[in-house]
Amino acid sequence: MPEPVTTDTATSAPDDVVLEVRDLAKSYPVRQGVVLKRTTGHVQAVDGVSLALRRGRTLGLVGESGSGKSTLARVLVGIEKPTRGQVLVDGEDVSTMSRGARRELRRNVQMVFQDPYTSLNPRMSVGDIVAEPFRIHRDAVPRGGRRRAVAELLELVGLDPDHVHRYPHQFSGGQRQRIGIARALAVKPRVLVCDEPVSALDVSVQGQVINLLEDLQDELGLSYLFIAHDLAVVQHIADEVAVMYLGRVVEEGDGPAVYGDAHHPYTRALLSAVPVPDPTARPAEGELLLEGDPPSPADPPSGCRFHTRCWLARRLAEEHGVAGDGPEAVPERCRTEDPVLVPLGRRGDGRDGGGDDEGAHVAACHFAREAATLGAHPGPTAQASPGPGTPPGPDPDPDADPDPDADPDPDADPDPDLEPVPDRPVLESRER
Amino acid sequence: MEIDISGAAEPGAVGDEVAQGDRPARTAGATLLEVEDLAVEFRSDDGALRAVDGLSYRVEAGRTLALVGESGCGKSVSSLAVMGLLPPTARVVRGTARYRGTDLLGLSPTKHRAHAGTHVAMVFQDALAALNPVHTVGYQLTEALRVRSGTSRREGRRRAIELLDLVKVPNAAQRVDEYPHQFSGGMRQRVMIASALALDPDVLIADEPTTALDVTVQAQVLRLLAEIQAERQMGLVLITHDLGVVAGVADEVTVMYAGRAVEHAPVHDLYARPAHPYTRALLRSVPRLDAVGDDRAVGGRLPVVPGRPPAPGRVPPGCPFHPRCDMARDVCATDVPPLDDVAPGRSSACFFAAELLGGVRA
Ligand SMILES: Nc1ncnc2c1ncn2[C@@H]1O[C@H](COP(=O)(O)OP(=O)(O)OP(=O)(O)O)[C@@H](O)[C@H]1O
Ligand SMILES: Nc1ncnc2c1ncn2[C@@H]1O[C@H](COP(=O)(O)OP(=O)(O)OP(=O)(O)O)[C@@H](O)[C@H]1O
Ligand code: SF4
Ligand code: SF4
Ligand SMILES: [Mg+2]
Ligand SMILES: [Mg+2]
Repeated sequence: MPEPVTTDTATSAPDDVVLEVRDLAKSYPVRQGVVLKRTTGHVQAVDGVSLALRRGRTLGLVGESGSGKSTLARVLVGIEKPTRGQVLVDGEDVSTMSRGARRELRRNVQMVFQDPYTSLNPRMSVGDIVAEPFRIHRDAVPRGGRRRAVAELLELVGLDPDHVHRYPHQFSGGQRQRIGIARALAVKPRVLVCDEPVSALDVSVQGQVINLLEDLQDELGLSYLFIAHDLAVVQHIADEVAVMYLGRVVEEGDGPAVYGDAHHPYTRALLSAVPVPDPTARPAEGELLLEGDPPSPADPPSGCRFHTRCWLARRLAEEHGVAGDGPEAVPERCRTEDPVLVPLGRRGDGRDGGGDDEGAHVAACHFAREAATLGAHPGPTAQASPGPGTPPGPDPDPDADPDPDADPDPDADPDPDLEPVPDRPVLESRER
Repeated sequence: MEIDISGAAEPGAVGDEVAQGDRPARTAGATLLEVEDLAVEFRSDDGALRAVDGLSYRVEAGRTLALVGESGCGKSVSSLAVMGLLPPTARVVRGTARYRGTDLLGLSPTKHRAHAGTHVAMVFQDALAALNPVHTVGYQLTEALRVRSGTSRREGRRRAIELLDLVKVPNAAQRVDEYPHQFSGGMRQRVMIASALALDPDVLIADEPTTALDVTVQAQVLRLLAEIQAERQMGLVLITHDLGVVAGVADEVTVMYAGRAVEHAPVHDLYARPAHPYTRALLRSVPRLDAVGDDRAVGGRLPVVPGRPPAPGRVPPGCPFHPRCDMARDVCATDVPPLDDVAPGRSSACFFAAELLGGVRA
């Protein structure tokens, strides 16, 4: 049974970081040829990523398929070695340690896999699956206490401990994911790397697993790296969010900053593409559609990696006359200069007393400021829908104004500056 | 699931009644396909398992019907039944599927496939795996055309380019000769849509056409489908479990649970006021981006539906949803609620739908 991680000492910022990666890169050789496989290039799956995970917090990682999220996860838990850069657990560089010390530290970082249907060995009983990590980390729980530890773990994730002898196929998807979580918790880790842990689950069951993860975090002080392609799920669970594109982090910040005030054009496009479960909020003209496909990470575009699909670069070239002459008509800077992550300075008032860089909001775009102001705002729609939440029973007064602060004139344009000047006759008729 | 589509391509199967050209015009709103009380069973060691049990829906020209429900509720199986493509272990035990008045389920299996295959096209759920890696994209796109209308290879290639253009694959003339592995996931899904459109079908059944795709690519494909549908006044059946996608594109929605339709409604009504507790629970449990200040957005616990959907053969007696329903009463454990009209254009299979709609307790 994992014990809550004690947080009795006042934690200063650096101590607070349980897992950190610095300039991490992972590339895979591309081989061609049937008989003699020759290496013809490299896929840069992850290319220079720096992230920090704090105690008891959740870092959400989003990005398109192939952007390198799973690769990063595998390097973090030690399944794969990085090509470049460092992984630090509790401030210690994993690569410079002895094997024994490394394994001990590795124990602190465990993984929950995406697919509860294929990640559990169908021929092993649930009890054996959950106890499997004990064989690698023999000293985690003394041999005699393992049976009880397994029962406690099953209980912890909301499964019946009497089911230890059952096999995975006798469980539903949501229950199988709980088994995967119990297995990950067996050696009392402090960090769980969750790679799409709810993507394969139905909506009605997905919430059960998310709630479980949040309860475990409160109870055990766990930190999560939570990878998902569902931006709404990430918004719900994450304190901080990092957005990846082609092996790089292109925007990072606390949840409200990234979701409510996205600066990178890719983040903004992602947000605007999320289907909203409300038919009154159908995608408007301003939807920021991305053209084309993600480029191959084996041959990333020059300059800004996003420039082949960037709506902002195109718009800047077309409408704002920022030199766009190449075949793709994007500003020259986008094609030639690789943007770095720069602080957007919402809190960047120069003071760095207190050492609290939480909430620092960064984006890698030469024109991040323009991105935040141009185009449809993809942020949360202000419009309140009646929603399905209304329970049956005596309705509140249907005439009651749902929002006392609402503008009394429903026809009033929220942004008068954008309203075209009406024709004379219209103005006259309004005056009457 | 194994899908046998070989019969769909039998040349001799094309009867005269399915000849091209004499098809009535598509007038917006005209009923094209009407499925009534469909039931499908699988043979198994535990006896017959009911995968679909009394499903009804109607598809109209120029309109989109969404079929929603959780994994295993029978969305794909019911569509395969309409297409005549059920695996050999399955059979239709009840119901009709009328395409412009003709009951497809009453035809011989070969005629059924030919008739459905010409007028009702389907984009399969595992579409990305359905493309044959050894043939060019163009060749596969026009297989149906060559087989059914005897189109020449050359004419076929020209049509294939047209179809790729239609689904906005750039450089169609060049890419038509490429192989599936040279296409991205989104592009392959476009190819599958293009191939379903090759015979200019009246009705397109798209089974989870965007589930395997990233949100940005999903948005492109959904927009494309909507455009093509509007232009051709096609009837579209969109199968999905994503309530966000449904809200964005559907006109009407049929919600399925354990093989049955439990609610049917125009999309706006359904989201504003669901008439079935299962629909309400589903809508509540979706985390949403726009729920600012709502528990579902940040922090807070997600509202969940306890338990899980039943497997075929394990459907409880009475209302199939009753073990998970927060409104269940005694009657729910014994009697099966029929799908009844509860408001104009709306039906619900819940004894207490009126309460949900009117807010009055019985
Ligand atoms: N073992 C490998 N050998 C070669 N290339 C690989 C390997 N693993 C990953 N890649 C490539 O690295 C890139 C990043 O892959 P990764 O699986 O990390 O992406 P992801 O963001 O997790 O995507 P998804 O959302 O689809 O899971 C991809 O282009 C992938 O093809
Ligand atoms: N070949 C088969 N043999 C036995 N049972 C089957 C077979 N194919 C499907 N079923 C069962 O029939 C039920 C309905 O399956 P179907 O594929 O229609 O579900 P679905 O609603 O499309 O789900 P999903 O969202 O996962 O695609 C499921 O419970 C499934 O297990
Ligand atoms: S640097 Fe240029 S191409 Fe890159 S995201 Fe910004 S505007 Fe787009
Ligand atoms: S009939 Fe009863 S159990 Fe079924 S949905 Fe209605 S209230 Fe719930
Ligand atoms: Mg992945
Ligand atoms: Mg299906």
